Amino acid sequence: MATRTCPEVLPEVTHATDSVSEPDSGYLVICWDDPVNLMDYVTHVFQVVFGWDKKKAKKHMLEVHNEGKSLLTRENLEKAEFYVHELQKYTLNATLERETP
Amino acid sequence: MKFLRCEGEDFYLEFTSEEKDVLQLLLSFYPLVPATYHRLTQDAQQPKREENQQLLDEALAAQREQNGKAIRALLSEPGRFTETAEASQGRFGRGDLEWLLQVVNDVRVGSWIAQGSPGYEKKKGRPAKAKLRHALYMELAGAFEMFFLGVINGDVPPETPE
Repeated sequence: MATRTCPEVLPEVTHATDSVSEPDSGYLVICWDDPVNLMDYVTHVFQVVFGWDKKKAKKHMLEVHNEGKSLLTRENLEKAEFYVHELQKYTLNATLERETP
Repeated sequence: MKFLRCEGEDFYLEFTSEEKDVLQLLLSFYPLVPATYHRLTQDAQQPKREENQQLLDEALAAQREQNGKAIRALLSEPGRFTETAEASQGRFGRGDLEWLLQVVNDVRVGSWIAQGSPGYEKKKGRPAKAKLRHALYMELAGAFEMFFLGVINGDVPPETPE
């Protein structure tokens, strides 16, 4: 039986993620669909940036692909800007939008 | 492209001379995505929109500068690549592969933009020569991305166990 001989390398979680998905923080971080970023790549980026497991990252990736966008997290302005910057570093099509009541 | 083995935190990858030439060519295009491509928000009414956009632009520009330096260091670092008769073996840390992913994807997306940002639908007819070149770069960048992703995520097993 083949076994892994390399260290288990998972995306590093370098950011505080406790507040990810907490409601009513005012700003929505949204990833928009495009026909160029590869599905596996988008999944990987979500894992790295948000520290999500593969299942959750893939769920959001499929939302982007099938529905045109995915709401990734609600944050205050500063944190939302941080996440948008991190996603754009990977050339994903991400923006922040004010949450409307 | 081959994933040879892991040693500690380092990944050893092998490229044929042609593959290495292609990778170097793609890296030489970086950055290819226009600096004005990314927008912070689609909301024209957002307070301090321009000010915050400028901060984002500056942060991304700094990141590009850092990636550019990393590319030059990667290609010139002694001992990074070991040449054999038929191939080139390179040593990469996880962080190296992570920013290589960013860089190669920038070239992929930039090549797509250079083609006029085509949609999902396939257009009939023969594409213009210039667009064909960018289409090729986009596909090649995608191939390197999938390889790096496979190595990072453990989907590609090493050829030589540790």
